Amino acid sequence: MNDASLAFHRRIDEALADGALRRALALTTGRLAGGRATAMAALPDAEALRTEARRIRAHTIAHLDRYLDQFTRAAQARGCQVHWAETASDATRIVTGIARENAIALAVKSKSMVTEEIELNAALEQAGVRVVETDLGEFVVQLAADRPSHIIAPIVHLSRGDVARLFQDKLGAREDEVADIPAMTAFARRILRSQFIDAGMGISGVNLAVADTGSLCIVTNEGNGRLTTSLPRLHVAILGLERIVPTAADLAVVLTLLARSATGQAVPVYTNVVTGPRRRGAGPGASPGGEPDGPDELHIVIVDNGRSRLLGGELAEILYCVRCGACLNVCPVYRHIGGHAYGSVYPGPVGSVVTPGLMGLDDWSELAQASSLCGACRDVCPVRIDLPHLLLKLREQAARRELAPLWLRLAMPFFAAIATRPALYQFLGSVAARIARTASDEGWIRRLPGPFAAWSASRDFPAPAPRSFVQQHRANKAGTGAPPS
Amino acid sequence: MNAARDRILASVRDGLLRAVLPDATDDRAGRWAPPDPALPRDTLIEHFGRALASLAGHLHRAASASAAADIIAGVAASQGATSYLSWDDEHLGCPGLLSVLESRGLPRVTYDVPGDPVERARGTHELGGVGLGLTGAHAALADCGAIVLVSGPGRGRLASLLPPVHVAIVSERRMWPSLTALVRAEADLLDAGSNVVLVAGPSRTADIEMTLTHGVHGPKHVHVILMP
Repeated sequence: MNDASLAFHRRIDEALADGALRRALALTTGRLAGGRATAMAALPDAEALRTEARRIRAHTIAHLDRYLDQFTRAAQARGCQVHWAETASDATRIVTGIARENAIALAVKSKSMVTEEIELNAALEQAGVRVVETDLGEFVVQLAADRPSHIIAPIVHLSRGDVARLFQDKLGAREDEVADIPAMTAFARRILRSQFIDAGMGISGVNLAVADTGSLCIVTNEGNGRLTTSLPRLHVAILGLERIVPTAADLAVVLTLLARSATGQAVPVYTNVVTGPRRRGAGPGASPGGEPDGPDELHIVIVDNGRSRLLGGELAEILYCVRCGACLNVCPVYRHIGGHAYGSVYPGPVGSVVTPGLMGLDDWSELAQASSLCGACRDVCPVRIDLPHLLLKLREQAARRELAPLWLRLAMPFFAAIATRPALYQFLGSVAARIARTASDEGWIRRLPGPFAAWSASRDFPAPAPRSFVQQHRANKAGTGAPPS
Repeated sequence: MNAARDRILASVRDGLLRAVLPDATDDRAGRWAPPDPALPRDTLIEHFGRALASLAGHLHRAASASAAADIIAGVAASQGATSYLSWDDEHLGCPGLLSVLESRGLPRVTYDVPGDPVERARGTHELGGVGLGLTGAHAALADCGAIVLVSGPGRGRLASLLPPVHVAIVSERRMWPSLTALVRAEADLLDAGSNVVLVAGPSRTADIEMTLTHGVHGPKHVHVILMP
C-alpha cells in the first residue's frame, strides 16, 4: 500500500471507531434517503423526468464548447464580466484580484463545493480578505476550522452541544443564546446579518447556469444565497464549467428533481435565478430609477481545474452530475464512514469518481475500492449516472497503471493461467477445497491466510461442498447423484 | 484572459473527441416535457394551499384592497411590525392597497440602495428595524407551494428578504400547476429582471442535528394573499 492508501485506511478505522459519528450518519442519511424516496414516489412521471434530465445533461456535455460560448455571450450582454480559470490557482488569483481592485476587506460566501475544491477561502485570507461562510452548517465548519462532511449537510458529524460550545468559545454567546437549536439559529442570524450588510463582496457557487440567458441558478433553504447575491456591491460567482443547461425549460426539469433527490423537498425554499447585475436606467449602475437593489457588478469565474481533461475519457459521464448528494445517503460505505474519511472535498460514490477524475489517480486510486458496487447510487441518481460502471473503470485504470497492490497484480495472471485450463483448475480446486474443509470450523471458514486475511477479518465464508459443481453435474447426468436440494 | 478562454475551450473540444458520453444526443428533437395536469383552478388553489401549509406558510384570500389591508395589518400587529418595505403600488396587483395601509397608520419605508460601498452598508443597516415586506408575485406554483417574484424598477429584492415577515399578493389567475408549465408558457421568464426567485415558505435550516428551524436568514413568516 502507498502512503495515500494507508492514510485512507487509517481514516476509515477512525471513522468506524467513532460511535457518535456513526449514530449521526445513520440518522441523517436515513432521513434524507427516506425523504427522497417519498418525494420521488409522489411525483407523477418521476422516471420519465429522470430520463429527460439525463438527456438534457448528456446533450449539454456533448456540446459543452457551444453552450459555454453561448452562456458567456449571453452573460456579457447582460453586463456580467466573465473570467476563465484553467486551474484552481488561476481561479483564486482572479477572485483575489477582483477583491484587491475593489479594496474589499470582508466577503460573505454562500455554500459552494467548487470554492472548497479550489480552496478559495485560504487564498482570500492570505490576500487580507476576511471571508465569512453564511450557510449555518458551513459557518460552524469555519468556526471549528473543520471541513464539511456531507455535500448538503456539512455538519452531520457535529452535535448541538458541539455547536453550542463553538458559539460560546469563539463568539462569546451567552448561555441563553445557545439554550436550544432555535436559539442558536437566531444567534447565528444576528451575527451574520450585519456581516452580509458590511461585506463588499458576495461569493457564491452556481447550481446550474442557463446558456441562452446567461442566468445563474443558486438554491438555498436558508436564504443566505439570496443575501449573498443581493446585498454586497459585488457578486462573484464561481462556476464549474460543466454546470450548464441550455434553456429555462431544461432548468425547470432538472430543478424538479434536484431538491427532491437532495432532501426530499419538492423545491428548495429559495430557487434564486440571477441574470446580470441590477438593471439601472441607462446602463449598468448608471443612474437611479432602475432596480432599487442588487449588486452593481457581477463577475463569473468559469473553472476548469481538470474538468476538460476528465471529459476526454471514459469517466466523462460523471460530468452529468448536479451535486444533489443522493448517492451519499444510500451508499453503504458512506453511511458507515462519513465524508471526512474520503479525504477529499467530494465524498461518497460521486466523489470516488470526481476526485481521481480531477486530481489524478496517483493519490486517489483507493477511493474506487471503497464501494461494494451494489448499485444503490445509480438507482437514486436523478440523471442515472452509472456510478458502479465508472468505479469499475477506475479500478481497471488503476490496475493498468500498476497502482493495484503487487500481490494482486501477480496473482491475477496466475489465476488466469489456471482458470483457462479446465483439468488443472478442477484438480487444484479439489485440493484447495479439501484443505479448506479441513481448516474450517463447523462448516465455516473464519480466517484466511496471507493476502486474504484482511478480507476474511470481517467475513465468514461457508466451507466448500464435499463435491464440486462439476462432479455433481457429472453424477447427475449419469443418474447417480443425489437430487439437487 | 481570452487566452485562458481559448485554451479551455480548445481543451473541451479536444476532450469531446474522446469523451464517452452515454445517451448523448446531437439534436434536441423528441424532447419530453411533463404533461400539464389540466386541473381546474380551484383544485390548483387547493393544492397550492396544502403545499404552502406543509412548508409552514399561510394562505389568505381577499377580494378587495381593504380586505387585503386588513390581513396585512393583522399580520403586522401580531408580529410587532410597525413599518414595512414594499413594491410600488402598480406592481402589487391590488390597486390602492398602499394608500389604504397608510390610512391605517402603517408607514412604508422606501429605499434605493446607493452604489457607493459605505453609503450602501449604512442605508441597508437602516432598513434593519423594518418588520414586514410586501411584494406582488408574478405567479404561484400549485405543485410545490412556491411563489415567483421578478425584480425590476419598483420591485426590489429586499422586501422579500430582510424583514422577518413577508407578505406576497398573487392573483388567482396567475396560478400554475408547476414550474415546468410556467416556463413552457413564458420562455423568457428568467430574463424578465436581474433576479427571478421562487420562494417556498419561510427560510429554514436543518443543519444542526437534522432539526427543522425556521427563519435562519430570510423571513421566518410567509403569508400569501390570493386575490381574484
